[in-house]
Amino acid sequence: MKTIIYFISLLSLISLSNSQPDSHEFVSLFNGRDLNNWKPDKPGGFEAIDGELVTRSFGAGNDIYSERAWSNFILRFEFLLSEVGNSGVFIRRNHADPGSGFEVQLLAPWTPWRDDLHCTGSLYGHVQVTNRPDETTGVWYKMEIKCDRNIVTVSVNDKITTIADIDTVKTLSDKPLSGLIGFQGNHAEKEGQFAKFRNIRICDLDSEPGYVLRGINAKNELQRFQSLDASVKLGAQMVQPLAELMSGDDPVVKSVARQALFDIAAKASDPEAPARQKKEVRSAFKKSIKSTSSAITVNYLRWIAGMIGNTR
Amino acid sequence: MEKASKINRRTFIAGSAMGFFGLPLISSASGKAAPSDRVRVAVIGLGSQGRSHMNWFNALPDVEIAALCDVDKIRLEEAMKQLQSVNPGSRAELYTDFRHILDRNDIDAITCATPDHWHALIAVMAFLAGKDVYGEKPLTYTLAEGQTLLKYLQKNKSVFQLGTQIHAGENFHRVAEIIQSGRLGKIHTVRLWKTGGSPGLGFPPNQAPPDTLNWDMWLGPAPYEEYTPVRCHGSYRYFLDYSGGVFADFWCHIADVMFMSIHPKGLYSIESRGERPHDGIADAPKWIDTDFKFEDLNVFWTTIPPDVPGSDKMHIGAHFEGANGSLTCDYNNCLIRMGNEVFNDIKEIPVTLPRSPGHQQNFIDAVKSRNQPESNLAYAREMTIPMHLAVISFRLKRKLRWDYLKENFIGDQAADYLLSRTYRKPWSLPA
Repeated sequence: MKTIIYFISLLSLISLSNSQPDSHEFVSLFNGRDLNNWKPDKPGGFEAIDGELVTRSFGAGNDIYSERAWSNFILRFEFLLSEVGNSGVFIRRNHADPGSGFEVQLLAPWTPWRDDLHCTGSLYGHVQVTNRPDETTGVWYKMEIKCDRNIVTVSVNDKITTIADIDTVKTLSDKPLSGLIGFQGNHAEKEGQFAKFRNIRICDLDSEPGYVLRGINAKNELQRFQSLDASVKLGAQMVQPLAELMSGDDPVVKSVARQALFDIAAKASDPEAPARQKKEVRSAFKKSIKSTSSAITVNYLRWIAGMIGNTR
Repeated sequence: MEKASKINRRTFIAGSAMGFFGLPLISSASGKAAPSDRVRVAVIGLGSQGRSHMNWFNALPDVEIAALCDVDKIRLEEAMKQLQSVNPGSRAELYTDFRHILDRNDIDAITCATPDHWHALIAVMAFLAGKDVYGEKPLTYTLAEGQTLLKYLQKNKSVFQLGTQIHAGENFHRVAEIIQSGRLGKIHTVRLWKTGGSPGLGFPPNQAPPDTLNWDMWLGPAPYEEYTPVRCHGSYRYFLDYSGGVFADFWCHIADVMFMSIHPKGLYSIESRGERPHDGIADAPKWIDTDFKFEDLNVFWTTIPPDVPGSDKMHIGAHFEGANGSLTCDYNNCLIRMGNEVFNDIKEIPVTLPRSPGHQQNFIDAVKSRNQPESNLAYAREMTIPMHLAVISFRLKRKLRWDYLKENFIGDQAADYLLSRTYRKPWSLPA
C-alpha cells in the first residue's frame, strides 16, 4: 500500500515538472591534484595523491569541508578503505557546529559495534541500512548520496542501501536543509590505516528549474523558501514558470511564486548586477507579461518589471 | 474658516435636538460648547482605531461628530450604535463613500483611520475640499505621497495632525527637554526597537467578499487582489501592498521621540536586514533591523531590544547615547544614566516645551487658530521618510544611499521606482 502511495505521489511530482525530465549535470569537486574547493580542518588530514584524495590521519579533527554549502544534490564518488579504515561523508553540516548535519558512514568491518546503524551506508546513529552493502576492504566501491530535500538515499555500487525521510526521523527532523559537505579524516583506532576517494562529482539539483519549481509546492515551509532562493539564483528562466504558478489557485504556491518574482527583479535591478543578467530578466518579464492571462499576475509583473526599467 | 453657510444648519440641528428631547440641559450636562462653536468632524474608517477617533473627538466639548464612513456597512452600523450609546442625541450621518462627506460644506474636518494605502488620497481630496485632517499613522503608503500631501496642504492652507497620540504625553516632552538641555552631551547614537514582527497569517483560500463590504473600494488605489478575510480588517498591515507591517506601525510612535528631541538631519545611508514570514500569504517583515546614517548620528532599528540596561522591560523603546550619559525611554518611562548613577529626571532642567492639551484637542485648537498642531504634516513627513526607505532596503535586500535634499536615492533606479506607486484606475493622486 505504501509503495502505491509513494508511486502515485512520485507520478504527481513528475507531472508537475511539465513532464520534462531534468538531465542531471555533474561537476567535479576534486581535481586530483590539490585541495581546491576544499577547506581542511588542519593541514595534513587529507592529501591529493595521483588523482586520489587520501586520508591517513589518526584520531579526530582531520576533516575536510567543501567551500560552499549544498542543499539538494547527488554526490557520486568512489572510496576504498584499508583493513580497519574509518571515515565518512558529512552532509549539510555547519562547520562551527559539529552536531549539525549528519554523516554517511564508511567503515571497515572491524569494530564490535558495527551494527546496521553504524556500518557503511548508514546515516550514522540516525538511520540504519536496510540493504547492507559489501564491506570488503581494499577494493573500490562507488557511492551515491542523494539529498532530495527531506529524502536522503544512499547507494553503494548502484544498489540502494538506505532511504531516509528525515522529517520522520526524530533525531534528524530539526537539521538544517543546507550545509557543507565534508569527508571525515580517517580515525581508526590503529595507526597506518587510511581511506581513499576518487572521481568526486556532484550534481546541484537546485540548478534544475523543474526540481526547484516542485519545491515551491513543498509542504515544508523551509523547503519552499529554499526553492524560492534557488529560483532567484536561476533568474530569468524562472520568470515564466513562476508567473504560471502565481496565476494558479493554491495560495501557498501563489505566495511563494509571487515573492520569487519580486526577488528576481529586485536582484537584477541591483546597480552592481551584470548588464547581461538585467537584460535577460527584463526580456523574460516582457515575454511573460504578453503570454500570461491572469490580469492580477500581469499587473504584478508590470509593476515589478518597473524596477528594471521595463514599465508598462 | 468659511462659516457662513454652516450657521443655518447648525442652528437647525441644535434646535431640533432640544425639541426632540425637550431637555436643553443635555448640552451643558455633557460639557459641550454651543453648537455654533463646535468643529464638525467626520470619521472615515471605523476599525478599532477609527472608533477610538470617534470616541475621542466625541468627548471633546467643542466637537460634533457629523458623519461616519466605512466601506463595510456592518462596521458603520456598529460604530453608529456605539456613538449613540455615549451620545444618544447624535445625528451623525452614515456614508460608505468618503467622497460624499467631502461634498458637504458643513463639515470642517475629517479624521482618517483607513488602511495606509488610502491615507494620502483621502487627505489630499479633503484638503482640496477645504477640510482639515486628523490622519492615522503611518502618514502615507509611499514617500512620494507624502510630498504631494505637503504640497496640497500648503496650497490650501489646511491643518493636519498625524494620529501619533503618544506624542501628546508628558514623557516624550520631558525626554525632549532633557536631551535638548545638552546634559547628556551630544547624542551620537540612537537605538530604536519594537519587539515582535509581522505574522504570515497562513494560506487561506480566496473567497467572495461579503455583500456588506465594498471590497473594490477597500482596495481603492492598491492593486486589485481577490478577497480573503485576513487581507482586510485587522491584519491588512501585514501585507506590503497596503502597509509596512509591525515596523511601519510602530516606527512613527517611537521615532517620534527621537525627532522631537534631536530632529536628525542629513540621512544618507540606509541598510536593512530581515526576513519575511514563511508561514503565510502576508509578506511584511517577520523581523527587520535597519542601520541609518544621518549627519553626525547613527540610528539603529532592531526587532529585538538592544543590549542596553532596562531595554528588556520595554517592548518598544528609544535609547539615546551621548558623550556624558544615556537615556532610555518608552511611552511612559525614562531612565537616565550618567556614570554609575541612574535617575528618572533631572529636576534642574527647566520645563520649556509647551504641553499638549491632548492630541485631538491640539488638532481642534489648530483647526480654529489655523496654526499647525504638534504632529503637523511637515514634521510627520520628515519623521516618516526613514521608515519608507527602510522598507525599500528590506525589499531590495541591499544598502541604499540617499540624497536628502533631492529626496531620491543615489545610483539606484529600482529603489527610486519604489518611492511611489501608480494608483489603480480610476483612482489617481493629483500631481
